[in-house]
Amino acid sequence: MTSVEPILEVRNLKKWFPVRSGLLSFMEEKRYVKAVDDVSFDVPRGGSIAIAGESGCGKTTLARTILRLIEPTSGSAYFEGVNIFDLTREELRLLRLKMQLIFQNPYEVLDPRLTIETLVGEGLTIHKIEENEAELRRRVLAALEDVRLMPAEDFARRYTHELSGGQLQRVAIARSLILEPNLIIADEPVSMLDASIRTEIMNLMEDLQEEHGLTYIFITHDLAQARYIGDYIVIMYLGRVLETGPMEEVIMDPLHPYTKALVSNIPIPDPTHKRDRIMLPGETPTPIDLPPGCRFKPRCQEFGPQCKAEEPELVEVKPGRFVACYF
Amino acid sequence: MAVLEVENLKTYYYLGKESVKAVDGVSFKIEAKETLGLAGESGCGKTTTAYSIMRLLPENGQIVQGTIRLGNEEITALSEEEMRHIRWRKASIVFQYAMNAFNPVLRIGAQIVEVIREKEGVSKEEARATVSDLFDEVGLEPKRQRDYPHEFSGGMLQRAIIAQSLACDPMLVIADEPVTALDVIVQNKILDLLRKLQEKYELAVLFITHDLSVVAENCHNVGIMYAGNLVEVGSAEAVFKHNLHPYTSKLIGAFPSVVGEKTRLQFIPGAPPNLLNPPVGCRFHPRCPYAQDICKEKEPVYREINQGHYAKCHFAGELSFEVIE
Repeated sequence: MTSVEPILEVRNLKKWFPVRSGLLSFMEEKRYVKAVDDVSFDVPRGGSIAIAGESGCGKTTLARTILRLIEPTSGSAYFEGVNIFDLTREELRLLRLKMQLIFQNPYEVLDPRLTIETLVGEGLTIHKIEENEAELRRRVLAALEDVRLMPAEDFARRYTHELSGGQLQRVAIARSLILEPNLIIADEPVSMLDASIRTEIMNLMEDLQEEHGLTYIFITHDLAQARYIGDYIVIMYLGRVLETGPMEEVIMDPLHPYTKALVSNIPIPDPTHKRDRIMLPGETPTPIDLPPGCRFKPRCQEFGPQCKAEEPELVEVKPGRFVACYF
Repeated sequence: MAVLEVENLKTYYYLGKESVKAVDGVSFKIEAKETLGLAGESGCGKTTTAYSIMRLLPENGQIVQGTIRLGNEEITALSEEEMRHIRWRKASIVFQYAMNAFNPVLRIGAQIVEVIREKEGVSKEEARATVSDLFDEVGLEPKRQRDYPHEFSGGMLQRAIIAQSLACDPMLVIADEPVTALDVIVQNKILDLLRKLQEKYELAVLFITHDLSVVAENCHNVGIMYAGNLVEVGSAEAVFKHNLHPYTSKLIGAFPSVVGEKTRLQFIPGAPPNLLNPPVGCRFHPRCPYAQDICKEKEPVYREINQGHYAKCHFAGELSFEVIE
């Protein structure tokens, strides 16, 4: 999709969860929740890509599958040219050092009984990367300074309850950063935080990207937020990618009817700004037993006969812009 | 006459000998057919304000000062028994987590019927008929009264909660983060519904949210809260376009938008103060870029700066912030 060599290439990734519907379900045909259904995209090195969609569209499942926290149903994901799904446990362990995950809620990630120093150094200790204590401490303090928790010595001594939500999220970032990853997958990293603090974390992540040459995958439900953290966007709906392209182009000129509706519905912090909203009928259905054809068709206002017959493929309609729609 | 008039409300939570000054001197009013959006970050006291009005405070929470007038009645002095007559019939509340607001083992219709029968003393059949009408009104099929909460989606539950809040024909509806847990498309449908119902029933709405974008699009008037104080109140346009308080200006600057030029968002250094022991003087002064000596010593007075536009800042009207386009 881009000229830069990709750090991660996801190809035809599928994750279907079987549904058990009752006692005699083994006699029936197996049904699946198609949480991720044939998803392909590239992540350029040094870029940041936002995966956006409503709840239940499969964005978190996608992230977890890429990290192989859950096994995929089929497909492949090449990280620096190696298929993640072919690796042995040991190889995977080493690979995960290069691919780190940041979660939404730092309160749930960080053990309240450990000091910040232990928490940040944990990755190095567990993977037996740094066994020299003085060196370990030096690296922990450097990581804390990287995320602007200063004076670092002071923060290192503290426990999680002594820190605010924003500071805790920085600790979570420092924990990942200390392992010197190439790719960070952040699952709604700022959704829990208040607006005034959220921006601080977003700006920090942007600065860290430059300082450490990181590549980001952001998972978010909030397109307005996505606009400020990603330079590339993937719009998902019911497990499938409907549109991808450079962030500003997609937000300013969405091509897929779903993206158009989504963008038009985002509230704007300006009471004098009036615009037309595209209202979609109904609500997002569950991704079980989807009808043939385009999965957005039941709610779409621009469909034609071919939408019913076959699911549209993601095709390039303008340079860099990929859309899964016949129109 | 205003439907709701809150005057110098102070609500504290007691922790042993200490008290958390969660709401400290808040005044505002709401007219019929008017929406006041109360916005601010977590812990600023917006929900405590709502719970004080409905008298739903936890045991250690107490209204220590101030008056709340609902219609022509002063309600802070009412007994718990008298408050029962107010709730649902004069003022009702729509909670944030619709999935937790209904009992999961009872049919949704039955739960609303219960409210109506308790309050209005009507027969089961009449109450059921009312629920059918209400369901129709909020865009739910009346036959879905017989469903259990888990059979509803998040948006449908929120509709059911709204139906319930209107069951006894109140004059004030408090909506506490009514759409926060919903996806944007569903969110807008619910907001449109609220607006339509407000018009029809001439409701006064107190809309509580942390999301300034939602406030901007849905409220006539806006109140911004910080650390237990109401720091600015005015029409949505005045507050967003000609804000008087530095906190308001910074907070608006922190919100991402999908229109207009993309600029680096602002943030406010530091964190909101601990309300056990709030800073002396203006509560915002430790984070305020415009703070002077007087801000550290003297608490600013909440005063009217322009017609209908109030602020609690020593320098309100004198500061010029970068204009937010």
